[in-house]
Amino acid sequence: MSANSMTDPRRPNKIFRYKPPSTDSNPTLEDPTPDYMNLLGMIFSMCGLMLKLKWCAWIAVYCSFISFANSRSSEDTKQMMSSFMLSISAVVMSYLQNPQPMSPPW
Amino acid sequence: FALLLDFKATFFLGRYNDDFDDGEDLAEFDDNDFAEFEDVNEDPTVEVESEPPPKPAPSSIPVEDDEDEATVEIEDGQDEFEDADAQVSDMYSKYDKDEFEGYEKTNSPFKDTLIYQDVPAHLQNSWESYYMEILMVTGLLAYIMNYIIGKNKNSRLAQAWFNSHRELLESNFALVGDDGTSKEATSTGKLNQENEHIYNLWCSGRVCCEGMLIQLKFLKRQDLLNVLARMMRPTCDQVQIKVTLNDEDMDTFVFAVGSRKAMSRLQKEMQDLSEFCGDKPKSGAKYSLPDSLSILSEMAEVSDGVMDSKMVHYITNHADKIESIHFSDQFSGPKVMQEEGQPLKLPETKKTLLFTFNVPGMGNTSPKDMDSLVPLMNMVIYSIDKVKKLRLNREGKLKADRNRARVEENFLKQTHAQRQEAAQTRREEKKRAEKERIMNEEDPERQRRLEEAAQRREQKKLEKKQMKMKQIKVKAM
Repeated sequence: MSANSMTDPRRPNKIFRYKPPSTDSNPTLEDPTPDYMNLLGMIFSMCGLMLKLKWCAWIAVYCSFISFANSRSSEDTKQMMSSFMLSISAVVMSYLQNPQPMSPPW
Repeated sequence: FALLLDFKATFFLGRYNDDFDDGEDLAEFDDNDFAEFEDVNEDPTVEVESEPPPKPAPSSIPVEDDEDEATVEIEDGQDEFEDADAQVSDMYSKYDKDEFEGYEKTNSPFKDTLIYQDVPAHLQNSWESYYMEILMVTGLLAYIMNYIIGKNKNSRLAQAWFNSHRELLESNFALVGDDGTSKEATSTGKLNQENEHIYNLWCSGRVCCEGMLIQLKFLKRQDLLNVLARMMRPTCDQVQIKVTLNDEDMDTFVFAVGSRKAMSRLQKEMQDLSEFCGDKPKSGAKYSLPDSLSILSEMAEVSDGVMDSKMVHYITNHADKIESIHFSDQFSGPKVMQEEGQPLKLPETKKTLLFTFNVPGMGNTSPKDMDSLVPLMNMVIYSIDKVKKLRLNREGKLKADRNRARVEENFLKQTHAQRQEAAQTRREEKKRAEKERIMNEEDPERQRRLEEAAQRREQKKLEKKQMKMKQIKVKAM
């Protein structure tokens, strides 16, 4: 129930366009998760590739998935794809070099 | 032949042994023909024993045995022995038969304990050894499933919210839904999807306000980690509404009401609430609000003005859904954390009404729950109209103006030292720039003239300062 039920409160002449809030002014309000996960994913995949650790490569794949799920729509898809590809290549390379199955840590 | 079939089952023994067993049996029938093999018989059995177990897969051996058996049955006896002889000479030519003379051998050497070598995991053709990988892939699939399900649920909730509020919004705003990119200001009539869990809606074109931004901040149902974290600590979906007002739409006051936790948090976080509402959040018992809510206000008159009967009615009925309501003419967002110094200018303020509502269901919301938020939207519209009409009386206005002046003064005092420094550095920069200009001047005459001009200017400044000092001294006296 609008207050002015008789008169129409709409004013087409007083329309303001939508301005997306600038992120520079409020960096604290942004969720840092996708950026952290991206970074972690890259670090783990580099570890997995260099040190030939299979579990690092798998964690990198998980990290890039999590980063993708939390990403904003304005974010670059190229970044996402590159981190995906890097983590998948880390997994593939680990298995090509050493086809043995991964042993559990216990 | 039954015995021969039994021999097939052994893993370690080569086919040669079986051949010679054949020879043994047949030798019993005809000594002359097969006597020569009796001696030779013992050697290969020993040598076969001393050999390490063969590398090839065990499955290959029974197959070869079958073939040998077949040849034994079909072929002539003599042919068989020739083959056997050839095989013996081929395989055991390197072994000295005399070496093993007299070595007693049991008839069934394959009854000794069998040492099974472990076949390395990657040579086993079984999927079971890859169980960790299968676990990982299953986890990934579960994550992807959850992503799809969560995304769809959030999308359905957003759509349900919009469907139940669409009529109300369209009757109140000329522009419902705008993403800011289209050339003309036409209603898109749908939500902007910022994220898989955040949806925006911009409404504009109404009396008493500039525009209204509605943000549906849902839970991150698309992220499995978040879903698991929420099982520990339940949180709810939120609807945040921010109404920006023109200068003439609102008088000067700062006010907030909401849950106790939210109020204490906002008082610490928000720039305007911390400056203008210094007292601790008060209970709303005076207006018969439930105990769970508390009020932050610049002055009592503001509270009285805002909390009219209709407002109280709205708030009391939906107290569980209200997280915070914040009206302010000095809204500039949360306090900005500065590293070293403070900002040199007062932050920009905008007359704003902020509403944060909790969606009922504590995470397990269904699209039907969105209908219960419509009365809250009615409250928002009512507030917009009310704030336009709410005017402080003379006293209140005086107090409010004094408050604002006080805040500004404090700010200026705090930044005074900084502003002085900044002014000093600016002056020094100017001087340096001038000097550089003089140095760069090629014409020596012009150089001299500029230098003289600069000197004269400095002289004047010094004189001015001295005059001021004298004036102050005179005044002091």
